[in-house]
Amino acid sequence: MSSHSSSTSSQPAPFDLSAWRNVPTVLMVIGGIGAVAAAILDPKHAAFSYLTAYMFFLSFGLGGLILTILHHLFDAAWSVPIRRINEHLACLLPTLALLFIPILINVLMAGNDNIIYHWIVLLKEGKPDHAVTSKYPLFTVNSFVAAWVICGVVWTVLSRGLRKYSLEQDKTGSIECTRTLRRYAAVGVFLFAITLTLAAIMWMKALQHEWFSTMYGVYYFAGSTWTTLATVYLIVWLLQRQGPLREVVREKTFYFLGSLLFAFTVFYAYVTFFQYFIIWNANMPEETFFFVSREHGVWFWVSMVIIFGHFFGPFLTLLRIDVKLLPWVMIPLASWVWLMHYVDMTFNIMPVMFPEGPHVSWMDFACVAFIGGLLVKLFLKSLNAHPMFPQKDPRFAEAMDIYVPEGKLAQAVGARAAKATSGGKH
Amino acid sequence: MAATPKSYGLIAEFLTPADAMHAAEKVRDAGFRKWDVFTPFPVHGMDQAMGIKNSKVGYIAFAGGVTGYTSGMLMIWWMNAVDYPIMIGGKPMFSPFGAFPPCYELTILLGAFGSLFGMLFLNRLPRLHHPLLKHRRFALASHDRFFIVIETADPKYSETETRKLLESMGSKNIEVVEE
Repeated sequence: MSSHSSSTSSQPAPFDLSAWRNVPTVLMVIGGIGAVAAAILDPKHAAFSYLTAYMFFLSFGLGGLILTILHHLFDAAWSVPIRRINEHLACLLPTLALLFIPILINVLMAGNDNIIYHWIVLLKEGKPDHAVTSKYPLFTVNSFVAAWVICGVVWTVLSRGLRKYSLEQDKTGSIECTRTLRRYAAVGVFLFAITLTLAAIMWMKALQHEWFSTMYGVYYFAGSTWTTLATVYLIVWLLQRQGPLREVVREKTFYFLGSLLFAFTVFYAYVTFFQYFIIWNANMPEETFFFVSREHGVWFWVSMVIIFGHFFGPFLTLLRIDVKLLPWVMIPLASWVWLMHYVDMTFNIMPVMFPEGPHVSWMDFACVAFIGGLLVKLFLKSLNAHPMFPQKDPRFAEAMDIYVPEGKLAQAVGARAAKATSGGKH
Repeated sequence: MAATPKSYGLIAEFLTPADAMHAAEKVRDAGFRKWDVFTPFPVHGMDQAMGIKNSKVGYIAFAGGVTGYTSGMLMIWWMNAVDYPIMIGGKPMFSPFGAFPPCYELTILLGAFGSLFGMLFLNRLPRLHHPLLKHRRFALASHDRFFIVIETADPKYSETETRKLLESMGSKNIEVVEE
């Protein structure tokens, strides 16, 4: 790949990232070997570690999908230059759907001692309790597989479609592409909500199948979008620094991304608190046990980390208006957001296996390295295979703060895009 | 017209937002402190052009929010757990969870008060009269004209030099505003 050279002198020089080029592959290979070793040595613990890493990384795909959908639904202009990043993140979803297969193997083929979902063990032993039978037909093995198929198909169709017409518009500049994308988004937002809730319930919440919470889907959604916004901020900052987005990303792009991150910090806290508060207030044992078990042992301190690290820290950091534009605050914060989201996923999943407290194991690192390395590799591949930002979007001039009299629009956008186009790799 | 000790400042009229903005940049760069721009609608980028820093009202709002939250918690703790304890549903006499919703409302209420009254305080409002209001052309600031006003109270103000500066920015109509 050619490196981009820009005449802009006020910009700091791009980082030399060539030393990092092989890191995703190395992570993927070492992590993959580690994950397989873990599955042989301790299948149950490995499956829990894998599920934690999986739900963590699923957030990025789903977050990218909803950001793309929201962009089209709101007919937004400011997010046109960064839309391709969201589209590429969403296009990790077909792979993510396939990455669920190890969990399916655990459900379908593991012995009863190693299956991570207790309700499936109950079904296989032929003595489902009331909490399972009352959730028929959703809580059957067939439905579990069907839910995976539905999620995978919906996510693949939506993410591929949303990117396909966006890329087509790069070539044709046709307004019809934008209209098609809006239709995708209008239908997609409902399908997104249903499939995300289905996935969060069947894959994460069903670890404790007796529990129910109507806020669980939106809880996972809030955390996922929060994490994705921090990631998009980081990627946009890096791509601006390295060159490809230098001409098209503005101060307002970072300000809006930072503001959205701030909004989702509050939204996550709101959803999380009220999920807790309603259950606390109703005080019914069939609901409270979920939180009672998570206030047990060291998990209590993990919950404190989530309250102060997931909410108060980022909230107070992002409160000031100018912070959203300071890379030296926002970039470390993005890494902190990843850590907090991973802790959040651990807090949801791991107490089922380790009731006394978190149990950090090399298996966790192996699973994160494997899925993370693979996804980063795929993301970089799609990033380099296509233009870095939509080339002929009708809202592009508006996003660039240029007023163009009607008729001159196409020429102006074309000229601007041609000037800024780059195939640089970061 | 000679400058009198009673003059409030110089008012310069501009016809377009761009003219007013470029003029504002020059006034800012000339180092004036007590001056303002009046436009019929918000002009994006004017804050930067005028060199206005972020408003301090956020700190007052934050202080209001913190006061609301802590006073709410203290009030509920005092009333429910100390002054008149009533056992309800086997719950603790005081819990930050049960007390949270009213405290949250109080956070928002006093935060909003902080931003509203903080804004009024920092703007020195309410104010019954302002010298600009009797200037006959100033009413156009809510119609189609853009004004820059430099006050005589500014240390850099000089009747002749400031007028020259404003003329050099292309203002067609510069007048003295009387106190």
